[in-house]
Amino acid sequence: MTLAARVKAVHARARVRQWEYRQRNLAHGAWARFRAALTHASEAYAIDDATATALISEGFTADDRGRGLEPPRTIVWITADRATHLVDARPVALRLDAELLGARCLALVPFP
Amino acid sequence: MTFRDRLLATLRAIQPILDVRGVLVAGSEVPNLLEADAAATLVVSQDVDLAIPIAVHEEVKARLDQITRLVPSPDEPSVWIPRPEAAELIEVNFIGIDPAIVEPFDTYEKQDHRLPLMVFGPLSLLAAGSVIEIDGLRIPLPQPAGLALEKLVSDRTGEKGDRDLLVVAALFAAMAPSDFDQLERAYIGLSVELRHQARSNLSILSLLDARPGMPDPRPGRSVVDALFRRLETR
Repeated sequence: MTLAARVKAVHARARVRQWEYRQRNLAHGAWARFRAALTHASEAYAIDDATATALISEGFTADDRGRGLEPPRTIVWITADRATHLVDARPVALRLDAELLGARCLALVPFP
Repeated sequence: MTFRDRLLATLRAIQPILDVRGVLVAGSEVPNLLEADAAATLVVSQDVDLAIPIAVHEEVKARLDQITRLVPSPDEPSVWIPRPEAAELIEVNFIGIDPAIVEPFDTYEKQDHRLPLMVFGPLSLLAAGSVIEIDGLRIPLPQPAGLALEKLVSDRTGEKGDRDLLVVAALFAAMAPSDFDQLERAYIGLSVELRHQARSNLSILSLLDARPGMPDPRPGRSVVDALFRRLETR
């Protein structure tokens, strides 16, 4: 690829990025907000709706940064200690793969 | 021959250019060179970027005749490739820095019959750092904070994008608290869009998996988390 073609490609990507930035605002940054929440997590567990509801009723904090996705994801922040007592929870690696993205409800443990 | 040997042999072959004031080794080889004794165990790519401030472009061109073991690629004269008898060397990419621009959209081609340059806007976030010396070889490096931020704001796509972010992970591992302060100060000066880009790439970095032969980002997730919190409040 010539330099001129590379410059053209960079400009095209920059234009796309500007468009995406505007779309981000329109979509209230759904993906960015979801990723941001995951960035703050040291551990993640896939849980079911009932467990998510129970954790919230225990006083753990619900996080709306998964609500903008379709289907919406439920995120609950819990402590590392509480995580050790989860029943029927499946640890999931914090990486953007099918396992993580397939979980409808996530219990996240923040970094200390 | 180890990759370290190849990298250092290549830099030795271009020492006259490295000695021009303002020229920096940039890109993915910097974390390799920041390792103790430039151990170069983080093999991310098989080439080395040389950032040339446009103010010294002519001075660099005047020294090109001193480079004897590499030649311009016939396809792309800003890329110099090893001569057949110097096959142990790796490619050298000459890229341009123009302090007047930062935005990726302002990237331009500096045309020149001898040494054309892609002048990338975000490269102006680089600032001269330490000059490491190995067996008489002097290697000017950028400050890691600027390089990390440059990687974070540059447009990243696909596999190449992930590799570039893993370079950031390696830089973070080598950065002191004062470097993170410096990164934050530089971040504050960016446009809203570039700040968003930096945070977006940072969150992607925190969710990348390990890859063979590349820096493992997972042990540094807490560092990314802490930096992300700082940048979120800005």
